[in-house]
Amino acid sequence: MSWRRQLAKFGALFHRSNSVAELDEEIRAHLAMEKQENLEAGMTPEEAHYAALRRFGNVTLAQESSRETWVWNWVETRCQDMRHAARTLAAHRGFTLAAAGMLALAIGITTAMFTVVDSLVLRPVPFRDAEQLAHLWMGDEHGGVTLVSPEVVRAWRDSPAFEAVESAVSDTGLLEAGNTVVTRVVATVTPGVFRMLGGVRPLRGRLFDASEGSPGHSDPVLVSETVWRALFGSDEAFVGRRIRLNGETLTVIGILPADFSFPSANTVLWRPIDLSSHPGPGGWNKTAKAYVRFASGVPREDALRLAAEAAHAADSSTARLRPWVYPLVDGLDPYSNRAVPLLAGGVMLVFVLLCANVCSLLLARLTVRRREFSMRAALGASRMRLMQQALIESGVLGALGVAFGAVVAWALVSLARALMPMQLLSQTLNPLNLNERALAASALAGLVATLGAGLLPAWLGTKVDPGDSLRVVDRSGTEARGARALTRSLLVGEVALACTLLVAATLLTRSFVNLATADRGFDTSGLTTLWLVFDSSNTGNSVGREVLARNLEEEFRQIPGVKQLAWSYGVPPRGGMIDSGDWISDLPSAIPVNMTVVRYIVSPEFFSLYGIPIIRGRAFIPGDTRTDVIVSERFAQALWPGADPLGRNFHLKGVALHVVGVAREIHYPAIGSHVDSPELYQSMIGFGNTAMVSLRCGPNCPEAAVIRYRLASTHPSLKVTDAGPVERFYAAQLARPRATAALAVAFAAVAILAAAGGLFSVLSYAVSRRRREFGIRAALGASPDQIRRLVLRAGLLVAAIGLAIGSLLAAALARVLASLQYGITTYDPLSWSIVLGVIVLTTVGACWGPARAAGRLDPQMLMREE
Amino acid sequence: MLILRTLCWGPTHGHGIAKSIERMSSETLKVEHGSLYPALQRLQQEGWITAEWGVSQNKQRAKYYRLTATGRRQLASETSRWERFVRAITGVLQPVGSEEGQ
Repeated sequence: MSWRRQLAKFGALFHRSNSVAELDEEIRAHLAMEKQENLEAGMTPEEAHYAALRRFGNVTLAQESSRETWVWNWVETRCQDMRHAARTLAAHRGFTLAAAGMLALAIGITTAMFTVVDSLVLRPVPFRDAEQLAHLWMGDEHGGVTLVSPEVVRAWRDSPAFEAVESAVSDTGLLEAGNTVVTRVVATVTPGVFRMLGGVRPLRGRLFDASEGSPGHSDPVLVSETVWRALFGSDEAFVGRRIRLNGETLTVIGILPADFSFPSANTVLWRPIDLSSHPGPGGWNKTAKAYVRFASGVPREDALRLAAEAAHAADSSTARLRPWVYPLVDGLDPYSNRAVPLLAGGVMLVFVLLCANVCSLLLARLTVRRREFSMRAALGASRMRLMQQALIESGVLGALGVAFGAVVAWALVSLARALMPMQLLSQTLNPLNLNERALAASALAGLVATLGAGLLPAWLGTKVDPGDSLRVVDRSGTEARGARALTRSLLVGEVALACTLLVAATLLTRSFVNLATADRGFDTSGLTTLWLVFDSSNTGNSVGREVLARNLEEEFRQIPGVKQLAWSYGVPPRGGMIDSGDWISDLPSAIPVNMTVVRYIVSPEFFSLYGIPIIRGRAFIPGDTRTDVIVSERFAQALWPGADPLGRNFHLKGVALHVVGVAREIHYPAIGSHVDSPELYQSMIGFGNTAMVSLRCGPNCPEAAVIRYRLASTHPSLKVTDAGPVERFYAAQLARPRATAALAVAFAAVAILAAAGGLFSVLSYAVSRRRREFGIRAALGASPDQIRRLVLRAGLLVAAIGLAIGSLLAAALARVLASLQYGITTYDPLSWSIVLGVIVLTTVGACWGPARAAGRLDPQMLMREE
Repeated sequence: MLILRTLCWGPTHGHGIAKSIERMSSETLKVEHGSLYPALQRLQQEGWITAEWGVSQNKQRAKYYRLTATGRRQLASETSRWERFVRAITGVLQPVGSEEGQ
């Protein structure tokens, strides 16, 4: 029954004119019948007509009230309200754009930021029971090599501590696609890894079989959707095609969805490996990177004890090592761990600020709107009706903001996906997709703020006696005191928040600049390093390796742009071997110095290539032995305080070494608790299984990937495991501070602009409201300067209070930021003066327009207007 | 309720309903005929009455209202409620002594 009634109501919507005509006809018939009766009762026709009308009452009222029961009336009113709202908003296009734009920005930024935070911090990795998954290795107290031998993996597989143990090693590879060669990250995985992670389904094709990866099988490869789309044009017949990777021809057996990434976020190719049949390069047995799924019933300590016992039994080289666990769930580094919540807080401030600005924009129009509402109240609109209308108007504005906001959020997330530093993105295996929940939450908060601010004018406008505010001219000029106070406090809040954000942005930017320009101790520009692994089967002995190395040297020198070449084992920064223990100098009654030293084994060209100055003594020369060493300044200072270290001897663990030179210190500028260790250099004699090549390149030098490809084609037995500019080691440290500083600056800029915009609009309205007052002042002899100053003072007062509150907030925030700073103190005078200057300049800039308008008022014109 | 009651005797048009109400209440309830129409619209939307065009005695085209099954049920329940209400009021208005006498 009910739905039929609803249907009838909606039917009435469309047959509106019909219904009206019917009602009219019905009433006419009624009147005619009444008249007929009256005529029969003996009245004259005229009398009968009027009597009938009298008897009926108010015809129009009857029609109106009848119609009110029809549903279209309700809908029609809402439609009318919507039209009215649209007209009002269109009439004030500037205001509408400003308000909707600000709301959109607020919603967009917040959603994008929370999408990133959610993917980085809040959400666990997208695998089944992700908290049971971990990367496990055997290391000493410093950590050490994160790889284990296949024997250990097999032992762990048999252990009751784990449900599954698989290996996944990622490496960069050269992928040929059409006519180009690109570097992409390739993972070598045991076939069972996908089952261990759980829920991995290929988009096309299949996953690896258990037997795949062992020799004799054709070489299968799994490819990520991103590579398939970007490099192979979404080829429909891609599965089964053959592609070339690192010079090998492989068969594509499946495509994995773009959202899947493992073991690193940028892994796009997967090859199978059977651990039992692949010896490591150069007989090195640590070839597996063990990812484990802990058995659910076993306590973690017991599992680790079992793991240690199993490893000790399976591989004697792990005898003195203990297990290290790196859970897949919380993979955020300490810097991001501190920075991301702070940035999230920053985005909340921006959100609050922009919403406050939308409110103050709406409130600034209060006077105008209030008169309109009073006028309509005077014409008979009920308070409910006006409130409804105001609600719909702000609703339309809010909807506009939300719609634009969704677009902004989408654009920002796409931008983040493209521009976010790999160092940050690679910390999560979660795909970075727009978070609908964040969008919904921020949209809702924005809507509530808009609706609240939109309702206030209607409320105030209908509260007073309509006649009161209907007067054509406002005599007082101090009307709507409550709203004015509210607007001013909103502005003070905005300035305070902007100030806080600006302080944070300045401190972070200064930190970043300091970090980027900090002294590194050597010249990094144009430096490229390659890590080479010699295949033991071809170059079994040291003579063979020596020959190969000399050949390679010649080849490197042929590359255009290569100016200098040096061999080394370990490359700065942080690429050396770690030696820790008690160092004993040859001073009489020397106390052993316990410290950790970074050791590099270098060829004679090393120091001139890196530009590391030798302060005392000499660089290495051919003929130096293993015991001749060069020490860094700090090392010398520690062992021979105040004495000349040249020619002296020292011991570590019974090995005697002789100092031939002192080198300048290498620095690795980093935020946080990182302390540079002193360096120790040994002369390089002969080649081991691995070696690093450092190249000093000119501007026309080819990229590392190209050099690498060239090597792969001329020396198939050679494996290049890592290649790239030295800058990449610093980029890892710089990327996060840069991203943080850039975001903070963006937030601060939005905040400052919003606060300035708010100040400008509010002061403009204040001036237009006080025109009469200014006119009288001018007529009484106030100079335009004095009037200007009056307005400026109002603006600066707001800014000053805001600045005072903001400084307190910022000081508190700066203390939290201290852990993210580099080379500056929290009360860095330059940063604070920049903040002060920017705020004052912005305030004056925002106030100048309204102030000038006030100064230009002509009293005569004003008189005439009245 | 009065309108529903009037329609109990069969379909009739607006004018007829107005006259019936006046007649039945022995001219006590003199409504403005105009106020009848909003009420008729409301009842129609509740689904208690339906309307169709017909021709009155004096060859006038008029809308005839008819009670529906739901309308009849509604009338029954409202009548009983009204009766209960009247009983209650009557009980209150009775002289106090008569109760004590019982």
